[in-house]
This record gives sequence, structure tokens and C-alpha cells, in this order.
Amino acid sequence: MNRLILKYPYPVTAIILLIFAWVVAQRLARGVEGIIPLAVAALVVWLLGTFVFIYFWPQITVGGFQRAILKRGFGGGPVPVNTLYAVPERSSQSALSGSLMAVGTDDVVYVGGWLDLKAGPSVLHVPEMAGRYYSVQFTDPTSGANVAYVGKRTTGTGAGAFLLCEQKWTGSVPGGMPRIEMPHHSALVIGRVFAADDDDRHVAYALAKQIQLTPLDNESRRPG
Amino acid sequence: MSAILSWVATSGVVQGVIIGASLAFLTTILLLDSVARAETTTVNGWSSIRRAGQPGNGLLVRAALQKALPVVNVFEEAAYWTTSVDGAGKKLSGEQTYRLHFAAGHLPPNDAFWSLTATDTVGYIVSSPTGRSSVDDHSGLMTNPDGSVDILLQSQAPKGLAGNWLATPSGRFKLMLRAYLPGAAILDGSYHVPPVIRAS
Repeated sequence: MNRLILKYPYPVTAIILLIFAWVVAQRLARGVEGIIPLAVAALVVWLLGTFVFIYFWPQITVGGFQRAILKRGFGGGPVPVNTLYAVPERSSQSALSGSLMAVGTDDVVYVGGWLDLKAGPSVLHVPEMAGRYYSVQFTDPTSGANVAYVGKRTTGTGAGAFLLCEQKWTGSVPGGMPRIEMPHHSALVIGRVFAADDDDRHVAYALAKQIQLTPLDNESRRPG
Repeated sequence: MSAILSWVATSGVVQGVIIGASLAFLTTILLLDSVARAETTTVNGWSSIRRAGQPGNGLLVRAALQKALPVVNVFEEAAYWTTSVDGAGKKLSGEQTYRLHFAAGHLPPNDAFWSLTATDTVGYIVSSPTGRSSVDDHSGLMTNPDGSVDILLQSQAPKGLAGNWLATPSGRFKLMLRAYLPGAAILDGSYHVPPVIRAS
């Protein structure tokens, strides 16, 4: 259905507008006064609605990804909140299933997940990438802006752990762990690990699976 | 109470709300599309949006760019260019054959990789039974004697240069070029992707 609307936006819109014109014409046939409540309601909702749609558009878009991740997942079943899932298939392989991943590229192994810090900070673990391109993007659901990156460009390719917390969180950060603040309590997480070809894809997938989130509580109990 | 309810039901208020909401949605789409167009730079038919995904965009711009390119990387992480037209401005079609000619040393500069993907008009990769729907800097592209690189865009396998073939969908299609960790020439705007040339 979604694809149908995306593919034929003009005919679909024309049909809807025709139905509206018919409704208004039916009412007008019974007298001009009869149209006033309809016209006033339409105008008010039109103006208010436009503002609401624009204001919430990023939230609606990112919320779509949130639902897709938490309810449907990327082929491996729903991805629980505060966990990451590495997608084994290439984007072109997921094309047939109409999956979200089909809009991606075959050159990377994608990792996806939904972060929610309401119950406390999380720790992002990344393995030694030894120069390989990778990135972990954090997208704020309110503005749709990418508020933080971990990866080759921003933090390098060495193994590491990063504390993810709300701005207001005041606990102590375990020794030397960089602190990354999220403007709101949740974020969309998208990881990308470069894969040169089908052989290299196995290596990249194994690395992508090691990009993980753990609750901070577990961290302090870790030996050493 | 029931008088109010029956007035609501018959007065047309409900219909007005439905019509208003639909018109609001339509207005939003048209407004966001025009804002996104204003934010788009197009050279040789290739469009890119530098502010996509960046923090600090205003209400209209952040919504417009989220609609145009949802949850994409910021430009300095990955530069994206899309086109649905050839260098002459004609819509790309799988019935035609095209060539993308990169002069020597003019493949997209980057510190990670670049890739070129053919998708349907919405942006979904169309799986091709015969060829790759994506070529990149590590797919063994053949270089011409003068150091330039030609990528052949067509739905059927070409006679020569099979290694430089990107399989296109049969109908209308779109191309997406990505450069991860784009080089300085992309970031400062001096690099331009060459036009897609239709073969005669």
C-alpha cells in the first residue's frame, strides 16, 4: 500500500481530492449556509495540521524506524530495545522482502538498534577494526539530527567502550571511558562496517556483531 | 447532548476535519518538497544536500531534509548524490544505454570508499538476475589507456567492458553515488560528479 502511494502519488491524490469535491458539491446543492461548519472546521484543521505535521515530521520519520526495529527487525525478528542487530544479508538481497535495508548499499554490513536511556546509561562496545572503515550514528528522534558518531572519522578504529547517557545524568564514568550525551532519552542507532567483497563480508559481519550495547550496571560488576 | 451529537454528525464538521487534515498533509508535502529543493545543490544532473542530518537546522529545514533523505549520514561522514536524469535532462530509462565517464583521477575522492547503485524511482535496489546493481572502487573496474574510467549503465550485459557494467532496472530508474569519508575536494564543493551520458 505504501509503495503504491509512493509510486503513484499524483493519481492517488487526484482521486482523494475528487472525493472531497464531490462531498462539498453534495452539501452546496442543499444551500450555501450548509457549507459553513464544514468550511470553518476544514480551515482550522488545515492551518493547525500543517504546523503539527511539519513540527513532528522528523519524529514521525524516526518513529517509523523505531517501530520497524522494535516490532519487525531486519529479518532476524524484533530487535529488543538497547541491543544492536547486525544484518547478515546484503541490501540487494533484502530488496525482494521490501525490507528497510533495501535502500542501503552492498558495500557495508549494517547494524541497527534503538537506544533508550530512561533506565540509565548504556555502554557501546566496538572491537578493533584495524583501519577498516566503520561508523556508528546516533540520530535524535525529536530533530532527526545525527547528534553523535563513533567510528573511523570521529574516534578512530581501535577497540573501545563509550558511555551513552542523558545530558542530565550525573553518575561517575568508569575510568577513561568517553562520555557521549544524548539530547533526549532515546536515539536511533545505525552502524556501518565496510565490506570489500563477499569474502570480506564474513570478516565485516563478525566485526559488526561485536558492536554491542550493555547496561552500565553490568560494567561496574565486570572483573578487572 | 444527543442534539449536539446529531449536529456534529450532520453539520459537516466531521467531513471538514477530514478534508482539513488531508489538505494539511498535502500542504506539508508540497512545502517540505520545495524547501528540500532549495537546500539541494544540483550539478550535471546530480543532486546533493549538504545539511542533511546535521544538528541546528530550523523547523522547516529539518523536516524537509528528513523527508528528502531520512536518517542519512551527515555530509562529512558520507556524501550522497542522486540523479534520475541524464546530462541532457532526460529521465533515465532502462531501455536506454548510458555511460558515466570519470576523467583520469576524477573518481570521487574519499578516505573510505565510493559506490554507485541503481534503484527504482522510490530508492529500492532492484535485484537483477544478470548483473550487479552496484559498482564501487573495489569491484575491479577497468581503466582506459588514458587513465579515465567508464561505467556502463544498461539493463543487458554489454559486449565489452563487462567488469564496468552496472545493471539497470528495466523501467525508469534512479542512481545513487556515495562517497564515504569524502575528500577535501568534495567537502569544499570543487568536485563535481560527471553527467550521465546517453549512448547514441
